[in-house]
Amino acid sequence: MAETDHSSAEDATLVRAARAGDTGAFEELVARHRDKIYARAYSMVRNEDEALDLSQEAWVKGWHRLKQFQGESSFSTWMTRIVINLCLDELRKQKRQRTDSIEEMDEESGGVERQMPVVTVNPTERLERGELRQRIDRAMDLLSYEHRTVLVLHEFEEMEYKEIARTMGCSIGTVMSRLFYARRKLAARLADLKAEI
Amino acid sequence: MRFKKPLSVCPGWLAALCFLMTFTGIAAPAKDLKFQALLVWATDAEKSPDHNHKPVDAEVLKKLRELPLRWKNYFEVRREHFIVPRGGAEKVTLSDKCKIGVTDVDGRHVEVSLIGKGEPVLKRIQPLSRGETLVLGGNAPDSTGWLVVLKRVE
Amino acid sequence: MIMTSEQQLKLQAFLDGELPEKEARDAAALVARDAEAADLVAELRNTRRALAGFEPGLKVPESRECYWSRIERLIQRLEPAPATAPSVSFFGRLRRFLVPTGAVAALVIVAAVAVLELGRPGVLARPETEMTSPDSAAFTYQDDANGTTLVWLSYPAESGFAEKAVH
Repeated sequence: MAETDHSSAEDATLVRAARAGDTGAFEELVARHRDKIYARAYSMVRNEDEALDLSQEAWVKGWHRLKQFQGESSFSTWMTRIVINLCLDELRKQKRQRTDSIEEMDEESGGVERQMPVVTVNPTERLERGELRQRIDRAMDLLSYEHRTVLVLHEFEEMEYKEIARTMGCSIGTVMSRLFYARRKLAARLADLKAEI
Repeated sequence: MRFKKPLSVCPGWLAALCFLMTFTGIAAPAKDLKFQALLVWATDAEKSPDHNHKPVDAEVLKKLRELPLRWKNYFEVRREHFIVPRGGAEKVTLSDKCKIGVTDVDGRHVEVSLIGKGEPVLKRIQPLSRGETLVLGGNAPDSTGWLVVLKRVE
Repeated sequence: MIMTSEQQLKLQAFLDGELPEKEARDAAALVARDAEAADLVAELRNTRRALAGFEPGLKVPESRECYWSRIERLIQRLEPAPATAPSVSFFGRLRRFLVPTGAVAALVIVAAVAVLELGRPGVLARPETEMTSPDSAAFTYQDDANGTTLVWLSYPAESGFAEKAVH
């Protein structure tokens, strides 16, 4: 009965109920938006288990911070920002363990991509949707986390350059070059993948 | 049996209270928490442009060298000692634009808030025992960095 | 024409609608007259389109119940413990050994505080950092051997906070 009520309620109503301690209402919110939150985490960390853990941690954080949600954005956008920040935190931690240097965090990759020949044929043109997804998935795996994150924030999260700069703690110029390199690398990877057929 | 008489003579609640005080330590007056906070500028430059900045002392330098930070030099910009009463809070100013607030949450955990340019930037809750240090930091222009080194002294 | 890095980034910004009107007109003119510029914009556009259909396909690889149950467990673990539960049986026994007076009730309160003080896992199951701005982020490095925690903020250096904080 209660579940039926929750399933027909709007997000705002569920948020109010959850804020008052109704876990049933929060469970409904989780059910509604879990795929998006998980997808964002997966796009960033590229690992199913980690994405699951981080997305679930994001929901726990969301629950504890419900009072801070003022409704300036949609609930799912608010939750997405939480999971993005958790993922960035995790990725930086992993990168730190690998490089052991904070300075390297903001290091730009080389300018090789600038010199790459342009892919003139759309390599994804005749691909089935599922096949395209698979290919992008493999290509995304090969990007560095900085490049992938900029792509995710720009293409999926539809953030403007300045918002990305704020989120990642870098300059707009860095965002522009990372996005450029990421797109070019991705285009080259997709073209390579096509040549494999 | 031996204890029956005194317990029956004393008011029961007093005896039990003494017992609990002895074994839980709650009778001891709650000690205040003492901290040392340092604002540090991290740089590869050999000298700070401000002649008032001195290199951090050996103990702090050792701590910073053990962290994954790769700056060559660390200069102490300001040092503050302060006391947080049990269950209380204290704010200290480290520069015109940088303040930190420390709140004793439960005797083991502290809540540290960083205030930059008058705006709250970060809040962190964690255990911080005597001798432990919490370092907050970030990048600064020209490939330098800033650090707030907060040590619980007592 | 061989484009400079700046020109390439401007073309990308043009594609993303991030250029002011005048510069957008210049970029459009460059694309119209220069084949290399046009190819580059086409490539960037193709990549953008390819990505547009990518993410919506991802779904949580677990059932609703399974996914929620872990979240629920984590939430419950972080909830404060009920104030009275652990002390009831303890004082049931304690009462038998003490002279029953009205003050026992007061003792229960004192003991409950003491037991909770000693036994509870802490305010949080693990430390938590909360950034005031949802756009900021921080990450943590823990050096248990030296009792040092480093929290690194992605507070943009450009903001002037750090500079002004230090100087």
